[in-house]
Amino acid sequence: MIEFQLDTTSGVATYLQLVQQVHQALQLGLLEPGDRLPTAQQVVAQLAINPNTVLKAYRDLERQGLVRARPGQGTFITRSLPRTDPAVQSRFLGSMTDWLRSARAAGLGPDDVEAIYRTAFRSCFAEGVA
Amino acid sequence: MSFVIEARGLGKQYGRRWALRDCTLALPAGRVVGLVGPNGAGKTTLLHLTVGLLAPTSGSIRVLGTPPAEGPEQLGRVGFVAQDTPVYARLSVAQHLRMGAWLNPSWDRQIAESRIEKLDLDPRQRAGTLSGGQRAQLALTLAIAKRPECLILDEPVASLDPLARREFLRSLMEVVAAQGMSVVLSSHLIADLERVCDYLVVLAGSRVQVAGEVSELLASHHRLSGARRDASSLPASQEVIEESHTDKQSTFLVRTSDPVHDPAWTVRPVTLDDLVIAYMSRPAACERAHQPQLKVMS
Amino acid sequence: MIRFTWLQFRVQARVAVAALLAFAVVLMVTGPHLAGMYAGSGITACHGGACEAAAGRFLSRLAITGPYPIVYELGIGLILAVPAIVGIFWGAPLIARELENRTFALAWTQSITRTRWILVKLALTGLAAVAVTETLSLIYSWWAEPISKAISLQGPYPVASEFGGGRLSLVIFASHGITPLGYAAFGFALGTATGALIRRPVPAMAVTLAIFAAAQIAMPLRIRPHLIPPARTIASGPSFVQSAGVNLGNLTATVVPGQPGAWIISSGAINAAGQPVTTVPAPCIPPPPAKPPDPGHCMDSRGIREAITYQPASRYWPFQWIETGIFLALALVLAAFCFWRLGRRRT
Repeated sequence: MIEFQLDTTSGVATYLQLVQQVHQALQLGLLEPGDRLPTAQQVVAQLAINPNTVLKAYRDLERQGLVRARPGQGTFITRSLPRTDPAVQSRFLGSMTDWLRSARAAGLGPDDVEAIYRTAFRSCFAEGVA
Repeated sequence: MSFVIEARGLGKQYGRRWALRDCTLALPAGRVVGLVGPNGAGKTTLLHLTVGLLAPTSGSIRVLGTPPAEGPEQLGRVGFVAQDTPVYARLSVAQHLRMGAWLNPSWDRQIAESRIEKLDLDPRQRAGTLSGGQRAQLALTLAIAKRPECLILDEPVASLDPLARREFLRSLMEVVAAQGMSVVLSSHLIADLERVCDYLVVLAGSRVQVAGEVSELLASHHRLSGARRDASSLPASQEVIEESHTDKQSTFLVRTSDPVHDPAWTVRPVTLDDLVIAYMSRPAACERAHQPQLKVMS
Repeated sequence: MIRFTWLQFRVQARVAVAALLAFAVVLMVTGPHLAGMYAGSGITACHGGACEAAAGRFLSRLAITGPYPIVYELGIGLILAVPAIVGIFWGAPLIARELENRTFALAWTQSITRTRWILVKLALTGLAAVAVTETLSLIYSWWAEPISKAISLQGPYPVASEFGGGRLSLVIFASHGITPLGYAAFGFALGTATGALIRRPVPAMAVTLAIFAAAQIAMPLRIRPHLIPPARTIASGPSFVQSAGVNLGNLTATVVPGQPGAWIISSGAINAAGQPVTTVPAPCIPPPPAKPPDPGHCMDSRGIREAITYQPASRYWPFQWIETGIFLALALVLAAFCFWRLGRRRT
């Protein structure tokens, strides 16, 4: 069974850290479909965090389709992470490279690009926004 | 949504001094609420008002829908752990549990005794000879064994060493996971609160400075750095919480529900630590600027 | 709450019971011999005037026999002291200790209202205080019954000062009858009220002692004499002599003619015009070796009489009821003060 860790200095919200650790475990093959995640009580006993945080992480994972909660039995992995299609990845890599080239030609330096990227990233991937 | 504590214009005055003023809160049930503030800000006053140890001078407060300490049933639904966890020094641990059983109809002996056993406390030991951490655990046992719907704790870990502190919080979170009660926990140590709280109230200068879900607060506060400019030049939707200036640069901590797109700013997220400190410094900053203090409602 | 109050009170209760038992042992050891002496004194079989003599003989024998005067006075002392002791050691810490140690934050957040908490603690501990005092009073009066009977048979002039004093006299009145109950209730309630006010046990104990002592001094000296308007009488001639020790140059009355056991509040000689007279005229007590005339006629011919303000012995029980009533009422007021003081506005 997976054992969660908590990094209090990373600035990442606790529930997100739990979600990310489940993702990493799935990618590394440490978790497979059918495995049971620790109960909220077990996580709390180990990490001394708010049980709502654990439940929120599990709900997020359930929304992502990775786990399913069976009442009275626990929360189980339902499938492994979808690997993104390499073709899709290379398509976006291409459009990103083109964009960077034109930005550089327009006179934007690395810090400008970084600032623009972060602003766009935040508004796109901020919680609750599609 | 049901609320565990609702306060409207709550205030408590001692002679000329207001220990708490204009306190309006609606704390949702099922959360672990952190109450932060410097010493003397009114945390203990607010919590004592919540459990009926004090009566308000102005305004009103309702806990689980009724005024505090209204009768034995209401008292049975709220558990309280006071600052410095007072216990009867001459009575033993077991005698404290008997007190709990005699004075609380909803007392669950099973919970109480299994907790004492798990904590490795000697039932015959006098409470006055327990260590600080053990006393805190005893006080917590007394508060939760009557199966309350809501648990109020006044700086329970302030005088404990780091290990005892972690153990206490772990114990508390296990109880919350098992019994599902609402918790209101006051502290001036922010690091502890980050782990366990999902709702935050900052008290400073005897007033509520901010109150809201931790995730929502972190998402809506940003630190903006850029060229030197005045706070009034910022759009109205961005409320300035804290500002600092050098001759060329200004940094603002703002609260806004809209995303910040202005390329003139470098936008950084705010940690809970910074957020709390900014709100805690607000009364002093407002006094210096002679500005009327705006209260933030979530 | 009843069981919990007992849990907190156990140690104090045991101390009280131990002290009572110790005193009871003393009484049981000395009691039979006392009863024997009484039976052998002839008082039980006496009639009329012989009783006074028999009582006098019994009491003067008792005054020089071993521990009896000591035990007699010890008993009175204990009954006078117990209300103060329960006030200081049971009453003052009752609420003050919870406030000082902040255990009220634990006690008042259990599933019991503050009112019920105060009510049970006050009622149970107060009842215990009154019960201890009453028990002490009962076992003592059982033991001292022979002495009390003998005292009541005495003439106007007590033969033994250890056993002197009528029922209305200062010390006897406060330690007999029902007044000890009133004092116990008052002492206890005073302790709890000062504890609720001062919030620290040790200063509350000191203040309780001070106020209680002041009350116990003020009552007999200033208040009790006027609870029922006193009677006045004028003694002249032979009864003047009977009441005051004129032969010895004394103008203060020690006995009220025709009122055995009366409590004299004030007395003084006055002349025919009603003005006070402070010295016996010289002719009435010429220095030896001259033969003194009849002092009674001597004073009478000069129009000097003794004016006495007193309370008759028959008023003993009315005084008992009034005084006990006063202290019980004070106890109730002080208890009500505790409830008011601990109301939620004031913590």
